[in-house]
Amino acid sequence: MSIDHAVSLKKITKSFPGTLANDEVSLIVEPGEVLALLGENGAGKTTLMKILYGMYQPDEGEIFIQGRKVTIRSPHDAMSNGIGMIHQHFMLIPVHTVVENIVLGLRSDSGKSCRIKEAAQEISRLGRQYGLEVDPYALVRQLPVGMQQRVEILKALYRGARILIMDEPTAVLTPQETSRLFEFVREFTDAGNSVIFITHKLNEVMEIADRVNVMRDGRMVGSLRKEEADENVLATMMVGRELQLTTGERDKLPGKTPVLEVKGLYVKSNRGNMALEDLSLQIREGEIFGIAGVSGNGQEELAETLCGLRRKESGEILLSGIQISGQNALSMIREGIGYIPADRHLEGLVLDMSVEENLVLKNHGEEGLSRQGILFWKNIRDLARKKVKDFSIKTPGPGTRVKALSGGNQQKVVVAREIMIGTRCLVAVQPTRGLDLGAADYVHKVLMEERSKGKAILLISTELSEVMTLSDRIGVIYGGRILRTFDREDADIEKVGLLMAGINGDKNGTEG
Amino acid sequence: MAQKDKQTPVDSYLGEKIKSREGSFYMFLWPVFSVLLGLAASGMMMLLLGHNPFLVFLKLFSFAFRDMYNVADIFAKAAPLILTGLAFGFAFRATLFNIGGQGQFYMGCVAAVFCALKLYFLPSFFLLLVCLSASMLAGGAWGAFVGYTKARFNASEFLISMMSTYVALAIMNYMLRGPLKEIKGEYPQTDVIAQNAWIPTLVPHTRLHWGFVLALGIALVAYFVLWKTSLGFKIRAVGMNRNAARYAGIDEKRVFIVVFLISGAFAGLAGFMEVNGIQHMLVQGFNPMIGAEGIGIAILGNAHPLGIVLSAILFGALKVGGNLVVQTSTIPSSIIGIMEGFVMLFVILSYFLQDKITTRRSKKELRSKEKGGVSR
Repeated sequence: MSIDHAVSLKKITKSFPGTLANDEVSLIVEPGEVLALLGENGAGKTTLMKILYGMYQPDEGEIFIQGRKVTIRSPHDAMSNGIGMIHQHFMLIPVHTVVENIVLGLRSDSGKSCRIKEAAQEISRLGRQYGLEVDPYALVRQLPVGMQQRVEILKALYRGARILIMDEPTAVLTPQETSRLFEFVREFTDAGNSVIFITHKLNEVMEIADRVNVMRDGRMVGSLRKEEADENVLATMMVGRELQLTTGERDKLPGKTPVLEVKGLYVKSNRGNMALEDLSLQIREGEIFGIAGVSGNGQEELAETLCGLRRKESGEILLSGIQISGQNALSMIREGIGYIPADRHLEGLVLDMSVEENLVLKNHGEEGLSRQGILFWKNIRDLARKKVKDFSIKTPGPGTRVKALSGGNQQKVVVAREIMIGTRCLVAVQPTRGLDLGAADYVHKVLMEERSKGKAILLISTELSEVMTLSDRIGVIYGGRILRTFDREDADIEKVGLLMAGINGDKNGTEG
Repeated sequence: MAQKDKQTPVDSYLGEKIKSREGSFYMFLWPVFSVLLGLAASGMMMLLLGHNPFLVFLKLFSFAFRDMYNVADIFAKAAPLILTGLAFGFAFRATLFNIGGQGQFYMGCVAAVFCALKLYFLPSFFLLLVCLSASMLAGGAWGAFVGYTKARFNASEFLISMMSTYVALAIMNYMLRGPLKEIKGEYPQTDVIAQNAWIPTLVPHTRLHWGFVLALGIALVAYFVLWKTSLGFKIRAVGMNRNAARYAGIDEKRVFIVVFLISGAFAGLAGFMEVNGIQHMLVQGFNPMIGAEGIGIAILGNAHPLGIVLSAILFGALKVGGNLVVQTSTIPSSIIGIMEGFVMLFVILSYFLQDKITTRRSKKELRSKEKGGVSR
């Protein structure tokens, strides 16, 4: 056994109710290298890394750090072994300052100062060293997502991490921020440190990784040097099956009649500042209008306004030419606007309820499903059976709790319901987030079908390729307004990418 | 057409369970076993107190089931407990914590005794109906206030409902020392209410009154509302995922208020039963644990109306038997509370264990499936 490995995981096995997340997974990280951990969602990447970081305990298997066998019972243990993790969902306290977040949980024997002033100086120094400058006294909730990620990284660096685990760190970043992050990763590893980079994006792997490990269904299916790998090989290893990706081929052009119109919309964010400023857009029947943009530029507020959960300050929302008040969520549902939310677990589904209950979550008050407040379970079940069949939702039965379904099938439940609701218009926010390619493809197909049926579809996604493939027109959102709208043919990644970062080539720069 | 179908998601969920290896037999074995363990543990405490637990339990159960009067008393004691259990359990289905069952109960008591004293001239049936409605209204309003503060100011319903109990207590004490004080004016208590305000007995020569049947009916109503109506659907959706409910156009604030209104009405009704059914008057500091016991009973019954009825009856039996044991021996009366506590503890432990076991079993199944080379 070589004792030089920075990290060595041996035959790690971990199971959860209903899934075997890791099945005898082994992995080696050398000092000074970037190891990409590649796999579809649900392949077990995050679980494996949470085991290394002490958040889960493995059922079986051993962990070696610098050749030493260790037991990591908690993130504290992990940190004292020089391991830091940047989570996909940041573990920061929004109402605290940067420096408070960073010293939080430090023990007095850690050798690091817990005094705010000294800590702040050290943070500024680290920030300069790695090009990760951030104001130590800023409140975390006031920082944009990219900055919050820096705080996470600084938190790990402050604790002296030599091995950094990054869980899909680029998901929330602009292309420019991403390349900044990659620079940091290179500097960090050049100093003899290691990075484990979890991702499912092939281009990133090819750009940043020295070595690639591919996981599938909880198993390690391959380990390649970058020179041996190309995107095709990796894709095949990752999915292990042939894929027919939706090309976005369209059999007919969008109609002429506008269905959903937004005019001069002003909406406030939770922080009280304007999140949407004079935003206007128009979606015609049979058209998919894609909104490209880095998250946090008003997409969330736009979506929430359209589904009636956020009050507009001024502006108009018109459906088929008639102004709608959008007072509350129920009125928008009644207007026939379906809404596929970004987070199906949080916003889309009641996980502890059954498939059928989730399917009628929004329309259980409708004729035929209930009368005078009494539910007709037989009709609800019949409807659910039909939807389960139509959308090929894999479930033991309509009475099964949604919790027990796989992510893709859970999303099918949401999609099936929203198509029922959205008789005129569909708003889809990150509709394929966290889905494996097969399920994502299915969702795309359904959206295209609904487009063909003449519905107006608003697609909001930070996944640029998704927007580019599906949309008839693409609007780039930045700082709460649509900077520019492209026709499908005219949009190219360069231009859209620059606009996403707020750099407007044609006009003078827009203030953020 | 549709109403005939009795299949609800819960039924089918249970159905699936019953069909699986965790048959109905096991489903009843778990709580029975944990209750026995709870009793065994309190037996240990009796040993420490220098009593032979076997003799104590023998006495307890022979007392509890000694004669018709005692058996009937079990159910008489269970009736208000069912209601305070529902007061917590119903709100718990919306993941709201109604800790204030005690206060809502007191408001119900005051309203019931007030009507009974002031409207004594009414015919019995109407008087009872008035007392019943007044108690439900008073308890319901008291609860709805908690729901309102939650909806309007996002106040913690836990704290508000808990603290509203003290206010209710103060109101009751004021009424007992002032407007409703007995004519003799000696103690802080009311006069005995007129006979036509008494809830008729169910079994002659016992204290068991029709209130028990009413309590069962209310439990049935609670079940019906939760699983057969769209209001219940909304309540459960809010309880299980407030966010998703909001996105689904469910007005959670309305749900908060309605749930607390209903919960409070349940607890208030318990006041009616105690005043008009058992005590026939209101005394200061009366039944101070009924709210807390309701919480325990609701947890014991897994916040399901049927479970709550069964646990309330169990608690009733422990009370009747326990009281007689305490009266006829040197064992301290706190032993009843200890028994109740241990039983709750073990039932909660059993929920945890059941969950663990199911988890491990599904892990094992999955492992063997994976090893067998069956892929998805």
